[in-house]
Amino acid sequence: MRHTLLYIICMLPTLLWGQTPTASRTPDGTTLVATLVGAGISRQQDTYLSPLDYRGPQLSFLRETLHLTRRAGGRLSFQSFLQGALSYTENRPSTACDWGGRLGYDAGWHYHWHLAHGLQLMAGGMVGTDIGFLYNDRNRNNPAQARLNADVSASAALRYTLHLRRLPLVLRYQARLPLAGLMFSPAYGQSYYEISQGSRDHNVVPTCPVNALSLWQTVAIDIPMRRYTLRLAYLDDIRQSHVNHIKVHDISRQLMVGVVRHFRLLKKAEREEGGDL
Amino acid sequence: MTRLFHLLALAGLLFTALSCVQEEEFKDTPEGNLDALWQIIDERYCFLDYKAQAIGLDWNAVHHKYRSRLSDQMSRLQLFEVLSDMLAELRDGHVNLYSSADVGRNWSWKDDYPAQLDHELRETYLGTDYRIAAGLRYRILDDNIGYLVYDDFSAGLGEGNLDDVLYALRLCDGLIIDVRGNGGGMLTTAERFSSRFTNERRLVGYISHKRGKGHSDLSKPMAEYLEPSGRVRWQKPAIVLTNRECYSATNTFVRNMQQCPLVQTLGDQTGGGSGMPFSSELPSGWLVRYSACVMYDAEMQQIEFGIQPDIPCTLDSADVARGRDTLIETARQVLHQAR
Repeated sequence: MRHTLLYIICMLPTLLWGQTPTASRTPDGTTLVATLVGAGISRQQDTYLSPLDYRGPQLSFLRETLHLTRRAGGRLSFQSFLQGALSYTENRPSTACDWGGRLGYDAGWHYHWHLAHGLQLMAGGMVGTDIGFLYNDRNRNNPAQARLNADVSASAALRYTLHLRRLPLVLRYQARLPLAGLMFSPAYGQSYYEISQGSRDHNVVPTCPVNALSLWQTVAIDIPMRRYTLRLAYLDDIRQSHVNHIKVHDISRQLMVGVVRHFRLLKKAEREEGGDL
Repeated sequence: MTRLFHLLALAGLLFTALSCVQEEEFKDTPEGNLDALWQIIDERYCFLDYKAQAIGLDWNAVHHKYRSRLSDQMSRLQLFEVLSDMLAELRDGHVNLYSSADVGRNWSWKDDYPAQLDHELRETYLGTDYRIAAGLRYRILDDNIGYLVYDDFSAGLGEGNLDDVLYALRLCDGLIIDVRGNGGGMLTTAERFSSRFTNERRLVGYISHKRGKGHSDLSKPMAEYLEPSGRVRWQKPAIVLTNRECYSATNTFVRNMQQCPLVQTLGDQTGGGSGMPFSSELPSGWLVRYSACVMYDAEMQQIEFGIQPDIPCTLDSADVARGRDTLIETARQVLHQAR
C-alpha cells in the first residue's frame, strides 16, 4: 500500500505536466552506495528547555543508496538515506550546553527525466522517520527533550555530468521538503514525569509546512578516482516545528566527504561463472 | 518542465517567507533580563492565578515596581538582587535565580517559622549504633518502636533498601518516620517509599500542567494513585513527623502517607512546594527555576503552602532542656495507645 502511494506521488509530475520522459538507462542491477562523514555548525533552540539559541559543532554521517528499478521503463529509482548526527552546542554566554543526537532513515522513489545532454532531473517522494534527543546539562526537571517523528516529503534532484579533461564529474543538487507527518511533543508545560505516569495531552501532533517547516538540501560533486569515487558535499539540514506552543529549530550546515561505490548483486549462475563487477 | 521549475522557485520563496521558527530573544541588558524573566514567569509559572487569590499577587504591578529599580549603570550583582527580589514576590521555594556567584531565593516557607527540630537532640535518639540503608538511618527504640530518619529524598533509596529496613523493624509495635528537615528530592522515591504503607490502590491527589501562555491555561487535572508495593509492606501503625522544612517531594510524600489508613502525621504544617519545577534561562545566562506543574491533594485542594498534620505538636523548650524531643515522645505515646 505504502509503495503504491509513493508510486502515485512519484508519477504526479508526469500526470500534471503530461511530459513524456526522455530515454533513460536500462536498469543493470547496479546500486550506488555513498558513505560520507561530515563536520559543521549546529544551531539549536527548543523553548521547552530554554528560550536561548545554542550554537556549536556537529559531527554527522550519511549513507545513501540509489538504484534504478525496472518500473516505469527503468525510469524509476529507489533511494534511501541513513543519517546520524551528534552535536555539542552552548548558549551565547557559555553558561550551559546542550548535547544533541539523532538518527534518521528516509526512503523513496524518484522518476527520472533527461533534460539535456548530461542533465537529469529526479522528482518524487520519500517517507522517513527520525529519532533523537536534546539534553541540557543544567536543567533539572526538564533536562531533555525527546525527538520522534515520521513524515512524507517531496523530493527533487538535479544531476549534471560534465567532463573536465575527459574526467567525468557528477554534480548533484537534491532537496527534500516534508509535506505531512506526525511528531511527538510534550504539551507546553507538561513534564516527562507526568507522561511516565500516563498523562496524554496532544502528544502526537500532525505536522505540515505550516507548523513544521523543514528543508533538507545538499550539493555534491562526485570525482572518480583510480579505485573509487570521491564525493564532496555540502549539507544544509533545517528542521523546525512550532507545536503545543513549543518552538524548535535544529539547523545544521555540514561539509561532508566520503566515497561512492557501485555494487551489483550477482545471480548464482554469474557467481559460478566468476562474475566480475 | 518550465512549470516545474516555477513551482520549485515558488516553494523556495515560500520557505524564505515562512523562514525560521525562532523565539524572540531579549537583549543582555538590565531591561532585557528583567523583561525576559518577567515573561518566563508570566507565561510559564503555574500558580499566578492561585497566588493572586491567596496572597494578592499582581504580576503586572510587580513588573512596573521592579523595572523602576533598574538603571544602565547598575552592576551585575545589583541586577541579580533586583531580579531575585522580583522572584521573591512569588513566595515559592521552587523559584530561584542561579548565577555563578549566588542563588536568589525566598525561603520564608521555612525561615519564618520555628524549626520544631533540634538536630543534636535527634541524634541522641539515634545514638551511635544506628543502621544506615541508603539515605535511611534507623534503629529500634527501647520501647520497641522503630525510629527512622530520612533527611533527603535525593538520596538513592532502592526497593531492596526498603525491604531490608522494614523487615528489620517487623517486630516493632509501631514505626516513626522522621522527615523533619527533609527539603525534597525525587518524586519517584517519595512514591516508592509511601507505596509500602498501603494494601490497596488509593487516590492521593491530582496533577496538572500549563497548556498555554495564559495564567489559567491549565490542563484537566490527572488523578494520581498510590499503588501498593508488591514487596514488603508495613502493616502496623506508623507516624510521620513533619515540620515547615518538609518541602517539595517530601510534601508529596506526606500527602500520600495521609491517605494510608495506618499512618498519621504529627508535628507542624509542611512547607509546601507542590509545583514541579522546570528550568529556563535569561540572556545573561543565569538559570531560572520556576513551578510548572501543579500538584493537588486527594480533595483537589492546593498544597503549595503546606499540609496540616493530623496531630499538631510543637517542640517544647522544657522538653528539650530535659533531653526529650516532644514530637518523638508524643508519637511514641500515640503508637502505644494504638496498640
